[in-house]
Amino acid sequence: MLPTVCRNVSQLGQMAKIVSASLVLKGAPRVAGTQLVRLMSEKARVETRPTVRKPEAHISVPHLSEFGAYVAECLPKYVQKVQLTSGDELEVLIAPEGVIPVLSFLKDHHTAQFVNLIDIAGVDVPSRENRFEVVYNLLSLRYNSRIRVKTYTDELTPIDSACEVFKGANWYEREIWDMFGVFFAGHPDLRRILTDYGFEGHPFRKDFPLTGYVEVRYDDEQKRVVCEPLELAQEFRKFDLSAPWEQFPNFREAAVPVPVENKDKK
Amino acid sequence: MSASRAVAKTVRQVKPILSVDGAEARKRVLNLYRAWYRQIPYIVLEYDIPKNIKQCRAKLREEFDKNKHVQDVRIIDMLVIKGQMELKETVNIWKQNGHIMDYFKETWEEKPKDFLSKFLSNTK
Repeated sequence: MLPTVCRNVSQLGQMAKIVSASLVLKGAPRVAGTQLVRLMSEKARVETRPTVRKPEAHISVPHLSEFGAYVAECLPKYVQKVQLTSGDELEVLIAPEGVIPVLSFLKDHHTAQFVNLIDIAGVDVPSRENRFEVVYNLLSLRYNSRIRVKTYTDELTPIDSACEVFKGANWYEREIWDMFGVFFAGHPDLRRILTDYGFEGHPFRKDFPLTGYVEVRYDDEQKRVVCEPLELAQEFRKFDLSAPWEQFPNFREAAVPVPVENKDKK
Repeated sequence: MSASRAVAKTVRQVKPILSVDGAEARKRVLNLYRAWYRQIPYIVLEYDIPKNIKQCRAKLREEFDKNKHVQDVRIIDMLVIKGQMELKETVNIWKQNGHIMDYFKETWEEKPKDFLSKFLSNTK
């Protein structure tokens, strides 16, 4: 199986091209070089809407997809998929065992030099078997380029800490640990960073209620701040969400008059 | 042949957090308990809380007994890690008196259990 890069323009007809290098299986015989299969023409419609991000001038999309295919070829054991999102953002989807090899490859390889770790983010999708995604955003100042490395885990599977590759990963990983409860194995100082001491639960998990489980107040008898289970018991209320003022006075004429019964004739 | 295959299907190989088997996990739990137990006199000394050593040790026992039913090695490991972090927060006095007293839940109102008190408090 050789890494192929296929490209198709999305149904929205925008710049969103999804390039996916197919899964390169471990141990499969590889053919040198990459084969580019272009299913659709390069031509894309010019975006005129002001709220939609236009493609960056300095990013060459073919270059980026070629680099993605190259990464997939170099690390066939860990890279599961390479894709371009939003037209020009390269994403490398890797297996959780490959965090350190892939990040150190991207950092140290001469043609990559992604030496800056911009952020580590977490995503929670409870319906999946591996519900958490961990997203590493990297920046190469040398080549003025960005890359995103994504991996996955569940509540109990530890991920290798990226601290030995990027020193800056320390606090980001503490954040992920605190907010999602993903354990990072080999982290030098893994502890809470955003929540209060004694706080239980991980607030960014989707099953954590918006109100939380406890509330905190000052108790005058105890002379201290106390923490109590939250009670939001409330009578069923019907909220009238329509505004009291007229919002579209220009369309006043278009409003259909509601037939009203004549009370005099009763 | 088929039985072993069925076993292989149901038994999933997972990455351990710290311990590889139940005995090791148990050892870690006991070590954590011992560490807490030995720190309690210092905790009582350094925090200004209206509790004595005996009450704190009873509370420690209660907190550990809360997770008595847990069998999964990885969940035990995770709880041990969290307990270790709590101990560190307590011993380094990152916590305040209020955080220590929150373990005792003194202001929590008991939920009505029998019919009459439920009726009187107007809860379902």
